[in-house]
Amino acid sequence: MNVSGKIMNCEDYRVAIAADPSESFEGGAAHVAACESCNAYRAEMRVLDEVIGKALAIDVPELKIPDLPPIGEDDENVVNLPFRRASKISTPAWIGIAAGFALAAIIGVQFAGNGPANDQLLAAEVLAHVDHEPWALTVTDVSVSEEQFSNVVNSTIGTMDRNVGLVSYATSCIINGMTIPHLVIQGEHGPVTLLLMPNEMVSSPVSLSGESVNGVILPHGNGSIAIIGQREERIQELEQRVVEAVEWSI
Amino acid sequence: MSSNNADLKRRQRFDRVVSVLHKDLYRYAAWLCRDPGIAEEVVQEALLRAWKSLDALREDSAAKSWLLTIVRRENARYFERKRLETVDIDSLTPSQSAMLAETEDPNLADMREALYRLDDDYREPLVLQVLMGHSTKEIAELMGIKAGAVLTRLHRARIKLKEEVAKEAAA
Repeated sequence: MNVSGKIMNCEDYRVAIAADPSESFEGGAAHVAACESCNAYRAEMRVLDEVIGKALAIDVPELKIPDLPPIGEDDENVVNLPFRRASKISTPAWIGIAAGFALAAIIGVQFAGNGPANDQLLAAEVLAHVDHEPWALTVTDVSVSEEQFSNVVNSTIGTMDRNVGLVSYATSCIINGMTIPHLVIQGEHGPVTLLLMPNEMVSSPVSLSGESVNGVILPHGNGSIAIIGQREERIQELEQRVVEAVEWSI
Repeated sequence: MSSNNADLKRRQRFDRVVSVLHKDLYRYAAWLCRDPGIAEEVVQEALLRAWKSLDALREDSAAKSWLLTIVRRENARYFERKRLETVDIDSLTPSQSAMLAETEDPNLADMREALYRLDDDYREPLVLQVLMGHSTKEIAELMGIKAGAVLTRLHRARIKLKEEVAKEAAA
């Protein structure tokens, strides 16, 4: 029988064995024990797989490890932000100020950083995005509803343990053409932006450092997470909590 | 622990992981791009990225999937940069021809050519299952598709290869 509890027929079995000649699926052994024809088909598939395995095993050249750069705090993946917003501005005036800062932040990232181009471009994209949603950065003790949160951090993205902090803002945004959760949690020194990017991989942590803000883009599985708070915010203490709270679906 | 000691341990960990998995990384890259020369470049870039983000790898037991993911992304980046056209099997570069000409066994040669002609979408899950020993779930995670789609592709891949090889044998 297969997973659904039905007896496997010959057609089902042949489709399954061609997809998985190791026969790790349920119900296969029972079917083949009673079906000589499928037993022969299985043997045929296993011979085919042996040839496939040999054909795929091409010769491998000698291992050449590239020149590896030293890893340190002052390595290439630090993005300096010469211009960023002042902390604790949550009035409408902030919107106009932020628009003015947005361009400066992008230019700062593009020219101040000298790390891998993809990481730098992602950092610029992240900062430009945060600057375009300044209304998200409000000091509050009101959290978003469970429904709003689960609409944004949905099953196609993954899960996030809400104990990471009071989530005061949650919306779906586009970064590099992909829809991602844009969240704000309340940190010790004001709002902290979290961008969960399951498809944006960075080669190593990208530090975002400026006069009034600090942050980081952390590699996480096959993606990355941006954490951006006020200058005084102890981002390092948040890093582990956030990374442990987030699990990608893909 | 001094900084030098930490650096040394980091380097030793990297070398250990890479030496064990190098063959898998190269073969995966070669079958992704179907060109040994490009595969070497892709693997070199992938190793560099892996070195820089080694701290993100929490356990060495997860190194294989982690490195294969990096190779996969590097391969995509390479083709994005170069915007290479689809390879036509009738106009192969010497490097590509060498990949197909490695074996003198006619059965293997036919199969290798059939694999070479197979659509990327079908070839990749097959490489991951047969060469890398990945489960359906692991392939689905790596390729970002559903498990059902993986099984469908694997089934179609084998049927296609079976037909191609039979056609060659009959010719």
